[in-house]
Amino acid sequence: MTYWRLIWRNLTRRRSRFVFTLSAIAVGIASVVTLLSLGIGLEAEIRRQAEGLGAELLVTPKGWCAYEQISVLTGESLPEALAAAVVDRIRRIDGLTAVPYLTQRAVIRNQPVPLVGVLAGPMKELRGWGLARGEYRLDGRHVVVGHAVAEQFDLHVGAPLRVRGSEFTVAGVLAPVGNRDDLAVYMDLSVAQRVYRTGGKVSFVAVRVDDVRRIDEYIAKIQSAANVAVVSDKQLLRSVLAIVGSVGNALQLIAAVAVLAACFGITNTMMTAIYERRREIGVLDALGAKKSTIFFVFVGESAVYGLLGGVLGVAAGFAFSYVAAPYIGRDEFTAFLGSEQSVKVFDMGITIEALVFAVLVAVLSGLYPALRAAKLSPVEAIGYE
Amino acid sequence: MSDPILRAEGLSKVYDGGYRTVALEGVSLEIPRGSLTCIMGPSGHGKSTLLHLLGGLDRPTAGKVYLDGEDLTSLGPNRLAEVRSRRLGFVFQFFNLLPVLTALENVQTAMLLAGVPRREQADRSRALLRLVGLEEKMHARPGQLSGGQRQRVAIARALANDPDILLMDEPTGNLDTRSEEDLLAHIRAVHARGKTIVIVTHSESVAAMAERIVRIRDGRVVDGETAARRFTNGRPGR
Ligand SMILES: Nc1ncnc2c1ncn2[C@@H]1O[C@H](COP(=O)(O)OP(=O)(O)OP(=O)(O)O)[C@@H](O)[C@H]1O
Ligand SMILES: [Mg+2]
Repeated sequence: MTYWRLIWRNLTRRRSRFVFTLSAIAVGIASVVTLLSLGIGLEAEIRRQAEGLGAELLVTPKGWCAYEQISVLTGESLPEALAAAVVDRIRRIDGLTAVPYLTQRAVIRNQPVPLVGVLAGPMKELRGWGLARGEYRLDGRHVVVGHAVAEQFDLHVGAPLRVRGSEFTVAGVLAPVGNRDDLAVYMDLSVAQRVYRTGGKVSFVAVRVDDVRRIDEYIAKIQSAANVAVVSDKQLLRSVLAIVGSVGNALQLIAAVAVLAACFGITNTMMTAIYERRREIGVLDALGAKKSTIFFVFVGESAVYGLLGGVLGVAAGFAFSYVAAPYIGRDEFTAFLGSEQSVKVFDMGITIEALVFAVLVAVLSGLYPALRAAKLSPVEAIGYE
Repeated sequence: MSDPILRAEGLSKVYDGGYRTVALEGVSLEIPRGSLTCIMGPSGHGKSTLLHLLGGLDRPTAGKVYLDGEDLTSLGPNRLAEVRSRRLGFVFQFFNLLPVLTALENVQTAMLLAGVPRREQADRSRALLRLVGLEEKMHARPGQLSGGQRQRVAIARALANDPDILLMDEPTGNLDTRSEEDLLAHIRAVHARGKTIVIVTHSESVAAMAERIVRIRDGRVVDGETAARRFTNGRPGR
């Protein structure tokens, strides 16, 4: 006989109550795990995209909000907003390379695909692209496509592509780079401006500076040359993470409610169990159990609830984030999750954290009932009816 | 009286929940080592209360209980639990056993609480169940045992840590005559091994084997005579 055996026998004596209490804990922990794993996946993905930006500064129209800044990272289409003259003025500043982007949307087989109008040379240099197949050729008849787009739509070199009524040919497929670049079609900027009728305008300009130590100087120069907003890549990352974080906070609140409900479930189950078993507590007293032993036995029951519920919850949580991740990639916040690699399906750190957390909250929930059990006077507990 | 193992001095117990009940008043008595004592008296007159006080399950309002000269009423709760675990064994009228555990596990639990290592638990528990004739039922749950068998398991469990004294509160109260006879045979056998036994009972057949009878009325001892005149195997205290 061991204390754990005693605990286990007591736990499983009422099967349905055991199962229901366990389910409540599992749901609470699963929501925490889902949140953490999606959250961590999301943040990692944002950082990766931000690194992939390849530029230190981002020139945008004044008054862009953070949602639009996120779109820069996700590759969502953005309104054309910077005039050609503005772009020219920025490009004339010494010591920096300005690369304009016109982000639009093409439709391939009824599915929206990001299309980016770029200057062929500067863009290739900025992004450090290589070619998987074909040639890097952007002109009035040719486009290149990201690796993932080529795979998804089975676009080989020479394949026709119709964009807004104009016929193009896929000249090349870029080598995979592991960020949003893989997921877009690239067109010559002036051709894209014509096809999408944006005049000479672009969506934003990425700027790479020669000397990163003088970044503030460049920002001042750009702002005096044109009436635009300039953010550094670090500021961008910070503001995007802040938004994702605030959404995360709301989700955490939901998870907290689920966990709280599970806690009350444990407390309630243990209170009921102690009421039912008060005679047995009296028997244990008579057998010479110390108050601390009785306390330990009941807290142990709660802890086992936490551990088992935690294990189930972790499994369910990871399963859910695996299944759900692809379906919630449809807005700016979660668009990152659309690419398969971005979501962590299993993470040892989260698992251990979640299990420790589960046991901890279960023990806390069981503290009060266990204290009541330990305080029960033996004679009252034996108390013949 | 010579060498009492258990001695009560002026024990009083007053319950004061709502209205006052004086359950015991100034009870003094001595339990000789190795004796078999019955406590008798009408219902509600304080027998169980006295047994609980003697066994350190409850604390008196006034008075003292000495076990081998050690004042139980002055011990802290942990020390008292230890005394219950190692030196005393309890058997109640019903609901003695933990229902989720087998007969064997019930006996083992008493050892577990006394800190007996797992290895030793199994052998000793089996031997004790053999003593009460229940070796073949050792894996049965209490729900699968008859009332008499349950009480025998309770006796085996009370003996788990080789205590000096067994305290029983109407152990045959729930049994038919045959089961009672059977249980008494086992109690007698335990007594023959030198254990001091105190039994609260209403049953004349239980009282018939006692060496001493303590009669309680209205929370007071009315008659603490030695039952030497009784014809059962009244062996002298050892
Ligand atoms: N926990 C309690 N709170 C209040 N009063 C109590 C409590 N326990 C016992 N009493 C009272 O103390 C008195 C003695 O009770 P006790 O249980 O000792 O009687 P008893 O002699 O064992 O009776 P029975 O033969 O019916 O078991 C009774 O009047 C009872 O109502
Ligand atoms: Mg009684």
